[in-house]
Parts: sequence; structure tokens; C-alpha cells
Amino acid sequence: MTTTVERGEAARPETGEVAFTATGVKKHYPGVKALDGVDLEGYAGEVLAVCGANGAGKSTFAKLLAGVQPLTEGEIRIAGFPHPVRNAAEAEQAGVLMMFQEPLIIDDFTVGENVWLYKLREGRDIRPWAQKIDSNSERTREVLAKVGLGALRTNELARDLGPGQRQMLSLSRAEVTNHKIMILDETTASTSEEHFNDILDLVRREREAGTHIMFVSHRLNEVFAMSDRIAVLRNGLLVDVLKTSETTPEEVTTLMIGQALKALDRPAPAQVEGKQPLVSVRDLHGGTAAGVSFDVFPGEVVGLYGLVGSGRSSVGRTITGQKRAAAGTIEIRGEQVQLNSPGAALEKSVVYLTEDRRLEGFVKDFDNGENMSLVVLPKWSRAGVVDAKKERGRVRELIDEFQVKGGPKTYTSSLSGGNQQKVVIAKWLESDPDFVVLDEPTKGIDVGARSNIYEIIHGVAARGKGVLVISSEAEELLSLCHRILVMRNGQVVAEFDPAEADTDDLIRTALTHQD
Amino acid sequence: MTATATAPAPSAPREARQGSPVLDWLKSQYALYILVALLLVATITRGSIFWGGTNLTNLLLQMSIIGVVTLAELIVVLTGGIDISVGSALGLAAVIAAGLFGGPSVFLGLLVALVIGAIIGAVNGFLVSFRGLEPFIVTLGMLALARGLVYAYGNGIPINPAAAASYAKFGQTTVIGIPVLAIIWIAMVLLIAFLLYRTVWGRRVYAIGSNKEAARSSGIPVRTTLWSVYILAGLLVGLGGWMFLGRFASGTSTAGNLQELEAIAAVVIGGARLSGGYGKVFGAVVGTIIFAVIANLLSLLNVSTFLQDAFRGALILVAVTLATIQFARKRRTTAPAAK
Repeated sequence: MTTTVERGEAARPETGEVAFTATGVKKHYPGVKALDGVDLEGYAGEVLAVCGANGAGKSTFAKLLAGVQPLTEGEIRIAGFPHPVRNAAEAEQAGVLMMFQEPLIIDDFTVGENVWLYKLREGRDIRPWAQKIDSNSERTREVLAKVGLGALRTNELARDLGPGQRQMLSLSRAEVTNHKIMILDETTASTSEEHFNDILDLVRREREAGTHIMFVSHRLNEVFAMSDRIAVLRNGLLVDVLKTSETTPEEVTTLMIGQALKALDRPAPAQVEGKQPLVSVRDLHGGTAAGVSFDVFPGEVVGLYGLVGSGRSSVGRTITGQKRAAAGTIEIRGEQVQLNSPGAALEKSVVYLTEDRRLEGFVKDFDNGENMSLVVLPKWSRAGVVDAKKERGRVRELIDEFQVKGGPKTYTSSLSGGNQQKVVIAKWLESDPDFVVLDEPTKGIDVGARSNIYEIIHGVAARGKGVLVISSEAEELLSLCHRILVMRNGQVVAEFDPAEADTDDLIRTALTHQD
Repeated sequence: MTATATAPAPSAPREARQGSPVLDWLKSQYALYILVALLLVATITRGSIFWGGTNLTNLLLQMSIIGVVTLAELIVVLTGGIDISVGSALGLAAVIAAGLFGGPSVFLGLLVALVIGAIIGAVNGFLVSFRGLEPFIVTLGMLALARGLVYAYGNGIPINPAAAASYAKFGQTTVIGIPVLAIIWIAMVLLIAFLLYRTVWGRRVYAIGSNKEAARSSGIPVRTTLWSVYILAGLLVGLGGWMFLGRFASGTSTAGNLQELEAIAAVVIGGARLSGGYGKVFGAVVGTIIFAVIANLLSLLNVSTFLQDAFRGALILVAVTLATIQFARKRRTTAPAAK
């Protein structure tokens, strides 16, 4: 393994040394001050969590540190690098390893090649006969095993991996690159709880090796599980830096939101006795779902919990026409329906909020107004001609109603995740659906916007509609739903009343069924 | 997470700065600047001839047919596709309209040309949308197929319709000094602009071009819409074939030859994005005018036809480079706000 660059332990600073210093960092986008003067220091051998609501500037800060975007003002110095970092190449030379929210994986490369991807950028030696890294080596397998991907073959195509596995695969590169600072930008957003321990292990190893780890997240339980210090950003300003051992999630939440919080009221139990179910699914097969049956009653929020690959998304997709069901029946108000396309489902008043917002949720070249009217446009038109006045008026109302930041002409792709999600939800709810399936509705969304979305969901149920929430966060379902179904290996294995169950019950059931 | 805010979360300052919309619009009109520059050059060098009535009429006639074809190309490009068979399809529509039943009437010719265009568009569109084939490959096949049929139909000899005289008369008709062919082009421009900007169909075309997955999962009938785009493009091309007969009164076997390249270039120079989802009718019109003015100007300047092609090619490169500069700037200013 002569080509493997072993970690230069000697080159690492002693624990406690400054790893980076940011002074007066500002980042302005037209009309938005994403960061407005942040001073922050990071030390070697610590985990610094950067928390904040959507639009607080936490991801922006990470991107500036990694040199992915240029600063407007101020400077960031990295220990051991002679001058302030100006671009991604310099940041990389200075030893910054950035783990993006969307993992950088090349679909057509094998798993092994993806592990060694960053070796490609050391492209000074382009002699084709020069010794190449063996991407199928023992070392590669070791690296993969360390991040919990030991079961993968190194010559498998990365295309076939699930989202959690992709994220872990990109994390595996931390084992083979030479870095002093590792940034995890919302890394846990697409991994499920099963991979969290692997991430914890990785972070622990890196920390012991003297790396500074910056963990950008708003999942406070994870922040508290792994960080040493917590930097809280709000509106582009650094509010406070706290020692994790001396604070509480409540305090951090208060700092993030800027005001006191009240507990989310669990919804009043839905009155379903003697009512006809809104939706009845019987023995549904399709994708990874293998024989799923359940009912959803009007006015009810039902949770669907399961690990990645348990079939929870397959259920969501097949009952909303996103994917064809292989077998089984779906009845809406007692009438059997055949939902072969999203359009057919829409006609039956059944809609699906995707978990992949960027790919399926909104159109990137459309502004908020155009995205919100995507589904209901035919209703706002006469003989196929859009009633522009009606569209404008209604869009403005929707933006106020759903508290979307930015106006009707703001591009949805330029908004933060939470606001994008509100646009997508508005798009669907405007069609006045009877049955709404939400797949990971709060994925990558901060606390403030989350409670907005929870309120919206409860509002829909209160109007007598049926809601199915698919989530990998047990806690979220427990506080949101009237009833929780747990899936494992493509089947619904248990049903819980959230008043009598806790996170532990759900996770345990999802992993192994206890009789 | 078991908490809710008592008030909406603090929001970053709303869009504070927003320049005048007219100014913003002008800033991105690179094609328009090229056109203005060309017109200036024309005025300075051959002003009196260029702005003369005969030349302007000629110019309008030159761009009417390619203008209609460019509109067809535009709607296909908006969906993220490409149609390189437009030139051959135009040729086929022209020769069959001229030759079928001996080409007895102008009106029947229009009908035949439209049907031929629609059939070609429908075949292209079916293969692209329902069979999931690459638009480039499908229309490449159609390019060769249609051109081959053109040659076979006329054995390489121009086909003169029985109603050649009426075609010639029709082609020379003017309404308040404007050739009727140009009026047809302008009408088509307005029609396509209306369809794209004012109808549900148009919105769907843009949505499909920008993000097919999102369009599909939003319940938009992606495949039917895509098919309709190719059929409409075929109809426009068929119309172009009929206009060709109006202008030349004869279905030559080279009718529409290489027009696909000019149409694609005009669409791109007008600022449309080849990957779909972005592009304006106005841009395509400006693109059409640019190429017509260039050809016209170069022949006024007695530049050899070989060099004319080189000029045209160079212009495409310049325009496309300018467009990328503009896109890069736009991307920087609309980069995602903080998460």
C-alpha cells in the first residue's frame, strides 16, 4: 500500500490547539445577510456543534470554512496554513474535509472507487502505468467495515446503495484522507438511527486522532450525544458558544429560536369508533412492501415507523400512485381504486409528499408561485388558459398562510430546506386532498419550521382528512400521531398508542419483533 | 422537538434590494445586444441598401420560414429534448404537398404539409416519450429517413405543383407592405408565446424540462404532454414546408437542408438552455433575426458564401460564451441562502 497516504500523526496539532479562527465573517447574498459578522474559533481534538434554525447561517458557515463559497467580508485562518483560505482547493490543502449534506458519490463508480475518490484530485501523476490504488484491497474493506458497511462488496456499483449507505460511504473517506478539520454538514439527515452509532464511532476516532470536527445540525439529541461545545447561530449572528456538559437541549432550543417554547399539545384522540375508514389497504405488495394491511380513519394522523429498507416508503409510494402496486387492494371510502399514476391518485384526492424534496418536490427553475400552483393550475384556469390574476392572488395568500420566507417571485431552490418544504406542502394541500401521505416531512428541517409543519399536519387532520406520516424518527411520530404502525421486513409488525409507548419500544420493534 | 414556537421563528431580512425590472431584463439580453451591434454595422457599411424596402422585404421572407422552424425547435428544447429532424421534415412536407395529387391547390397543400409534419412529430414524440429513447438519436434517425424519402419521392428533381402560379402569387402577397409569410410567422410567434406563458400546457412544458421527476410526482401527465410538444413541433415544421412552397413555388429535394442547425443555433443564441426548463420565445425570435441579418449583411458586403458559414459559426461560439458568462453571474447572485 505504498500509495496510501498514512495519517501524519506528527503533523497534527496537540489537543487544545487552535484549528481554525474565523474573524468578522460576513456572507451576503442579494437581499439576504446569511452571515453578518461571526467570530469563532475551533480547537483540535474537539467536536464543535453548530446549531441554528433554518436560515440562521450554519450551513453557510460550514461552506465558507470549506472554501466552497467565497466570503463577503472577514477572514478564516486555518492552523498551519500561511494565509487566509480563499477557495476550496486551498481549504483542502489546509486540511479541511467537508462532508456535504448530499453525499458526493459517483453513481457509476464502484464502492471501492468511491472510497478512494479524493485520491483522484491528487492528479499530478497522470502516467497511466503508474501504480494505482487498489480499490478492492483488504484496506478498502477495512475502511468500509469501520463505518458499518462491511457487508458491501467493494466492486458493487454505488448506484445501488440506499441513501444512508451513500452517506456512510462518503464518510468512510475520512479514514483515508489527510485532514485536520472535518465538517459534517447535516450528515445525519439522510442516515437513519441505525447508522448513528457508526457515525459516533467515527467521530470518536477522529477526535482522538486530534481532528477538529464541526458538526452542523439541528438534531439536538445527536448534538448532545457527540459534541464538546455548541455554537448557536441565529439570523446570521453568533448568539452564544456553550459547553455541552453545562447546558440543556431546552436552553439551546431557546437560543436557536430566540424565545421561550411551549410544549406541543398532543392532538385530541380522533373519534374513529363506528366510522367508515377513509382508506383501507389490504395485503399490499410492491417494492419492499410485502403484504401490508391497515386502515386510516378520517381525522386521524397515523404514523408509519421503520428502518430504511423496511418498506415504509414503498407503502407510501404504492398507495399514492407514485409506484405501481404488484398486488393487493386499496379502498377509499369503501370504493376500490386503481392508482397507477400520481395523476390518477390526485383525481381520487390522494397525495404524496416526497422525502426527496430536491428531486421530486419542487421544480428548480420555478419560483414559489409557479411551484405552488403546479398541482392545482388546471383549477385556476379556464379552457386551459391560466387565470393569472387568480393565481397571483391565491399564491400570495398561500405564502402568508404557510409563512414562507420570500415572495411569490423568489426561486424555491434559493430557500432553506424548511421553507422549501412549506412550499411543497402548500402545493399539495391547495388541491384539498382527502388523504395525505407525508414521507419524512421534517427531514433536514429545523425546530422552528418543524413545529409549523406539525401544526399544519394537525390542521389537516382536524378538517376530517386522513394523514399518514412516514418517519425514521420515533420521537417525532410519538408526539405527532394518534396511532403508530411499525414496519419490519416489508410488513406491519406492530401497532402502538403513542400515549403508552416510547422511543425505545418503537426502535426495538423495528429491529426485532418481540412477541 | 416536543415544542412549538409561540411566534414565527425569526426570519432573515426579506429581499431588500430589487432593481428595476426593466433594467434587470435588459441586463440579460445578450442576444439583443448582438442584434443591435449587427444593425449598427449594417447601417454604417450598407445603410441605404440595408434599410431599403426591397431588402427589408427580402429579409423578412428569409426569416419567416426558419422563424417558424425555430419556434418548433424551441418548444422541444424547453422540454430538455432536441429535434434535429426539423429540416428533413420540412423538406418532406414541402415535396409531398407539392406532389400529392399533382399539387392542385394551395389550401390542400397546407393540409397535406400539416399532416406530414404532424405524423413525423408524432412518431418522434412517441418514441421519445413512451419508449423513453434519446431525442437526439430518434430525430437523427428521422433526419436520415425523411431526407431519404424526399430524394426518393422526387428522384432528386424539384417537384412543381400544378398550382405553382397560385403558390407564387400567395408568396408575394403583402398586407400593408408586409409579406403574408412574415405575418404567418408573427402569428405563430404570438400563438406559441400564448401557449407557453398563459396556459396550463405551457407551464407543464417548463416543469417537465426543468424537473421531470417533480412534474411526474405532481400529477402532471408527463408523457402525453411531451408527445403533444413533438406533435406541435411537427405541425409547425409542416407549416414551414408549406411556406417554403409559397416562397419558391417548387418542392426541391434540398428544401430545409441544414435548417435544424440554424434553428438550434437560433434557440441557443436566444438564451434557451439545451438541458431544458429555461428559454423564452422572444429570445428565439431575436436569434432568428440575428442569423437572417448576418446572412443578409454578408451578401450585401459581397462576402463569399463559404466565409458566411464561418461567420455564422463564429457568432454561435461568441453568443454561447456570452450566455455562459451571464449564467455564471446569475447563479452566483441567486445562490441558495443559508440553511
